[in-house]
Amino acid sequence: MFLTRSEYDRGVNTFSPEGRLFQVEYAMEAIKLGSTAVGIQTAEGVVLAVEKRLSSPLLEPNSVEKLVEIDEHVGCAMSGLIADARTMIEHARVEAQNHRFTFDEAMPVESLTQATCDLALRFGEGVEEDEDKEEEMMSRPFGVSLLIAGVDDKGPALFYTDPSGTYIRWLAKAIGAGAEGAQSALQEAYYKSMTLKEAETLALRTLREVVEEKVESNNVEVAAVRTDTKKFVIYTEAEVKECLSRLENRDSQ
Amino acid sequence: MWNASVVAVPATESIQRPDFMPYQNNGGTVVAIGGEDYCIVSATTRLGLGFAIPTRNVCRYSILNNRVVLATAGMFADTVTLHKVIKARVKIYEEQQDKPFELRSAAQLLSNTLYYRRFFPYYTFNVLGGLDEDGQGFVYGFDAIGSGEKVKVVCNGTGQALIQPILDNQVERKQQYENKQITNLSLEEALDLVKDVFTSAGERDIYTGDAVDICIITKQRGVFVETFQLKQD
Repeated sequence: MFLTRSEYDRGVNTFSPEGRLFQVEYAMEAIKLGSTAVGIQTAEGVVLAVEKRLSSPLLEPNSVEKLVEIDEHVGCAMSGLIADARTMIEHARVEAQNHRFTFDEAMPVESLTQATCDLALRFGEGVEEDEDKEEEMMSRPFGVSLLIAGVDDKGPALFYTDPSGTYIRWLAKAIGAGAEGAQSALQEAYYKSMTLKEAETLALRTLREVVEEKVESNNVEVAAVRTDTKKFVIYTEAEVKECLSRLENRDSQ
Repeated sequence: MWNASVVAVPATESIQRPDFMPYQNNGGTVVAIGGEDYCIVSATTRLGLGFAIPTRNVCRYSILNNRVVLATAGMFADTVTLHKVIKARVKIYEEQQDKPFELRSAAQLLSNTLYYRRFFPYYTFNVLGGLDEDGQGFVYGFDAIGSGEKVKVVCNGTGQALIQPILDNQVERKQQYENKQITNLSLEEALDLVKDVFTSAGERDIYTGDAVDICIITKQRGVFVETFQLKQD
């Protein structure tokens, strides 16, 4: 793995003779080092839950932000290089507001996801832009994966994006270090008629299974976009506590 | 002492050139009425220029989709360009967003498109009509630089001063001594009203005549267009 594969993993815009872009594949590896995040779609809305790695007790837990709002009706969980995610989310926020400005309506979740992904493969040198280009080009692929959750005219939706700029719609998806275990846990437990409350507990239970530390209200973040309100809301610590206690009650039964 | 010959401009700088005149008024009248479950958008077909009538049969409306129609009076070249721009934007929207283009989005897009030309405007006076998300008929009237309003009835163009007060009176029941409650016009009543106001305006406004294209928008039939003949004088 760490031996040089070939010379083809140096340039970000060069295919290997087997037809692979190694830098993009390496970027995917970066996500496997990131904290775990899960998203679950139900008819009542979409739930996002992320693990926060608190490496020191001196660290201020609420300064670690891995769930963010893109627009009123769309939110996003991230895993991988968080700084890269910021760039993508900033772009997504601008696109969402642009859409509102031009069309006087909320942007559909799928096209917002597409607009976010448009940024993903715009890296590398030699891309000719204006002489005085306004934004600097990214020199490498984004090492981040996003779970974009939202509600639009067509109902709730959950999208997963990766460094190649591909996006896929999922009913339930896990990303990050614990993704593999979490994904099979979701596959076991997910059913389509799930309520939002059940999705909250499933999300937290899934995190609890794969996260090394004990899951507590200060080291996980939970958010949801409800179908009825069409609003993205990040849960307060008290609300997360309530979800966790519901999970514990379920266990003891 | 002041002397004309002293301040005279050198001959080379006083060459007379024709003024840059980018605008012309081709007239035309557009009317739109929004009902409970229908919308009517209509536009005259005469292209006027001064005292001449270069063409009797131009199309001043565009069907943006099966529930939104745009109609424009003013300069015809600007009308054509504006309609091309809006239609292209609607097409791109429907490809990218994978959903139908709503009336209010069309209103916002039109307003922005016009305002982006704030200092060299399209010389156009637009009405936009159609069914909103709830299937109710509504119309928007805009000035040349994009200021507009969502209303039930509107008229724009050279016949505006003749027609708008009649529409206010007959559709919104304004300025009436009695019978002030708004009674919703049926589609047939609204159609008759549209034909009457155009016929009347045609008597007094030289830019209104020949024919009027009437687009009838209903949920069941989508957009249906009929042409009503006016006087050709």
